[in-house]
Amino acid sequence: MRIRWRGRLPEIDTPLALAALGLVAIGLATVYSATSGPGAHQGLWVRQLVWALAALGAAWAIASVHYRAYDSLAWPVYAVSLLLLLLVLAMGTSAYGAKRWLEFGPLKFQPSEIAKLATVLVLARRFDNPKCNLRRVRYWLPALLITLVPFALVAKEPDLGTSLAFPVIFIAMVFWGGMPLGQLMLGLTPLFNVILFFATGSLWWFAGGLTALLVALRPKWPTLLMVLALNGAVAYAMPHLWSHLADYQKRRIETFLNPDHDPSGSGYQIIQSKISIGSGGVVGKGYLRGTQKALAFLPMRHTDFIFSVVGEELGLIGALTVVFSTRWSSCAATDWPW
Amino acid sequence: MHSSSPARRFREERFTVLAGLALAGFALVIVGLLRLQVVDHEKYVELAKENRVRLEVIRAPRGSIYDRHGELLADSAPSFSIVFRPSPIESTGSTVTARRADWTPRVASLARLDTSEVSERVAFANRSGQTAVLRRDAPFAVLAAVEETRSELPGLEVQVEPLRRYPHGALGAHLLGYAGEINQDELDDRADRGYHLGDLIGRTGVERSYEDILRGRDGAEFVVVNAQGRRVARLSEGPRQQPVPGHDIVLTLDLKVQQALEDAMAGVERGAAVALDPRDGGILALVSRPAFDPNEFSHGLSQARWDRLSSGGANPLLDRAIQGVYPPGSTFKTITTTAALRTGLVTATTRLEPCPGGYQFGGRWFACWKKSGHGSLDLIGAIQNSCDTYFYQLGLKLGLGPLEETARGYGLGERTGVDLPQEARGLVPSAAWYDKRWGPGKWRKGLLLNLAIGQGELLVTPLQLALMMAEVAGDGHAVRPHLVQEVRGVQGFHADKPAQPGVDADPAVWQTLQKGLELVVSSGTGTAARVPGVRVAGKTGTAQNPHGKDHALFACYAPVDSPSVALAFVVENSGHGGTFAAPLAGRVLRRLLLPDSLQTKLKSPARVDTAAVDSSVAHDAD
Repeated sequence: MRIRWRGRLPEIDTPLALAALGLVAIGLATVYSATSGPGAHQGLWVRQLVWALAALGAAWAIASVHYRAYDSLAWPVYAVSLLLLLLVLAMGTSAYGAKRWLEFGPLKFQPSEIAKLATVLVLARRFDNPKCNLRRVRYWLPALLITLVPFALVAKEPDLGTSLAFPVIFIAMVFWGGMPLGQLMLGLTPLFNVILFFATGSLWWFAGGLTALLVALRPKWPTLLMVLALNGAVAYAMPHLWSHLADYQKRRIETFLNPDHDPSGSGYQIIQSKISIGSGGVVGKGYLRGTQKALAFLPMRHTDFIFSVVGEELGLIGALTVVFSTRWSSCAATDWPW
Repeated sequence: MHSSSPARRFREERFTVLAGLALAGFALVIVGLLRLQVVDHEKYVELAKENRVRLEVIRAPRGSIYDRHGELLADSAPSFSIVFRPSPIESTGSTVTARRADWTPRVASLARLDTSEVSERVAFANRSGQTAVLRRDAPFAVLAAVEETRSELPGLEVQVEPLRRYPHGALGAHLLGYAGEINQDELDDRADRGYHLGDLIGRTGVERSYEDILRGRDGAEFVVVNAQGRRVARLSEGPRQQPVPGHDIVLTLDLKVQQALEDAMAGVERGAAVALDPRDGGILALVSRPAFDPNEFSHGLSQARWDRLSSGGANPLLDRAIQGVYPPGSTFKTITTTAALRTGLVTATTRLEPCPGGYQFGGRWFACWKKSGHGSLDLIGAIQNSCDTYFYQLGLKLGLGPLEETARGYGLGERTGVDLPQEARGLVPSAAWYDKRWGPGKWRKGLLLNLAIGQGELLVTPLQLALMMAEVAGDGHAVRPHLVQEVRGVQGFHADKPAQPGVDADPAVWQTLQKGLELVVSSGTGTAARVPGVRVAGKTGTAQNPHGKDHALFACYAPVDSPSVALAFVVENSGHGGTFAAPLAGRVLRRLLLPDSLQTKLKSPARVDTAAVDSSVAHDAD
């Protein structure tokens, strides 16, 4: 497929562009507000602005190419993203004990973001093949491997949160690619196994669920045996693996599955941000007039918890605007009438 | 596109499912927003106004440390600390500052601290939003003064905190180590491991190597406080998380042995002593001089005091027993003898050239410590009298390879892997090492003479010396020196495998070596370590030292028929091993191996005996 450069403003979907630009504007304004008090991150909004402009340029460039062209770019992009992930492990910048960032002079980014996109592209390319039948192992197994490589590399950084995006991508993609729902459920049983084990502390819940699933689906013998063997192995290995983890690793997993349980860590942030949002009310306290946002108690107020600043200063109206714009920008790209 | 009509329908179905899921997610967000901002709006406005929800850390008590008989060596007790709690208004810095200008000097004088220290801690607390401990275990007068003036000094509070206590003070200070308040760098590194400002962290000794086991897990709860910072209620949303205390640890240490070793070393200015159980490598006692009192660290140390403790020639924080390296001197003849017997070079009765007071080699005169000479000696006699001339000849015959291999079999030149931090490696030079130092092939055979008597480049730690004796006692069987016997509440805790291979040799080799070492104590250079009625085997050593007087060394084990203790002593800059180190071993062994009734009877004669031996050995020890 030839990449065609049309050299002028690409055809754009005006509502989509407006929603995206609106989000960028709100984001910029909120970053400015969140860092307006004296503190370590003053001036962060300038960087946000520079990145926003750069992203606008990139969006234009990407939109100028017909989307089918990305089909042929899938593998190269995937290869480059894997290389970058390896580079992170070799020479990444560490923050809070994990290597997640690559730094080139003033440029700093997380290659895992590119890897997510690349994985989607590669899987899409494979599943688009008319011969591809996801009922069959020879089609879904390579796809699984394609997903597991970046997953493992990101998990090794370690960035558990981001790495979990890969299984989710895989599940969504094989579903979209036409894998029968029953087969998908069977394939996911080891995952349910692990989650239910941690959530309930016993294997009986899962055993019951699995039996019900098997009765409902009545898989063929080889499939049945494979599912049982796989889950048996997982059930056997889980307690052993668990006892080999260090205390703080266990705590992290527990916190991940049950965030309320750790009020000193992420739980604290959550409560502080709930107070921020809740106190904003319907109309908010007014731009730049939030009282909670500048709390040093909310160390990530300008990043992960930026939404609480929107909720506090712009109220329900501002928060809903952001939510609907996000919704719009993800739906407008498709032709689904919502 | 390959979408025939059924395929298209199929995709549309799937898309509906996916979109529905996404829609449900958004709906959840919207419902959540409505609940927060409309339904519960009032409640959150109240919380935001009053502010104020605060996270209070409930400190987990650190695990206790016991000796092998359950005697307490370290524990945590509640104490009152003066803390600063940052208020949100203060942290924004945008509103009127809550603290008046005289806050810092007033607090400093109340708590009797430096102004700079107070402002530094307060600044960090404000940055991180966590409570900072200004003064631990404050005396009652200070607490009373703080309580009285608290309303004028926002942020200041008295809080109950566990305080680390070492009931025996400086006893065993180096092996126990100490726990100090976590500093800012450590906190940044370990934020994700549940450390909080004000937590204690093990810095040296067992406190450090078993940090993860001892520390426990802090609890936390959310409290609602009023404008004065007083707690009015607990927040219902965040459940209180109970602290999990750390595990208790039982050491192989025997308080009685430690006490005996401490008493013996009391008069030593700089030096170290180690007592091992030769059967399993358990450390019975470990002393390093000068010592420090770990309790000092629990209260927080001033910079000046810290400087005095951590630097200078004496450096009390240095654990000389595992971090100090010394030339082994004649104690190394134990290894030279083993190597010579193993390789079949000599037997117990082999006589070499007689000792005229030294040995001529390569145009150089290598002196024996006894200038008048030992005359003709067999191997046993040479060990007993520590004759340098005999060992010079052994060294030449052996060559570097067998010497080095045997030394490494004993665990020299490598960390023993004891469960204490920052152990020194020592040095056993190899051919490759000499090549690197002097250039390939440029080193001369003369160095073998020095190595054979434990001089030259050799370096050992006192622990390695004790380990060497433990292996002699066990016929070459390797053991792993270790300090922790049991972690309470953890099943199946055990020491690791030995780091060194051990020494493989015929029983006859061990018999000869052990006989020679026994004669050292019964009628050789180490008679000061004699114990009536108990067979003791040992070896003296005197390590030359370019910076001053010789270091005195002595290593031994007892009783010979069923060894229960291996000892090593190093007394820095004192003189001969037989004079200054062996008597200390004698004192310890008498206390450990003789029944109490006999000890009181022997007390005065024993001392006279020691003194007599001291002076007699003084002028003719090795």
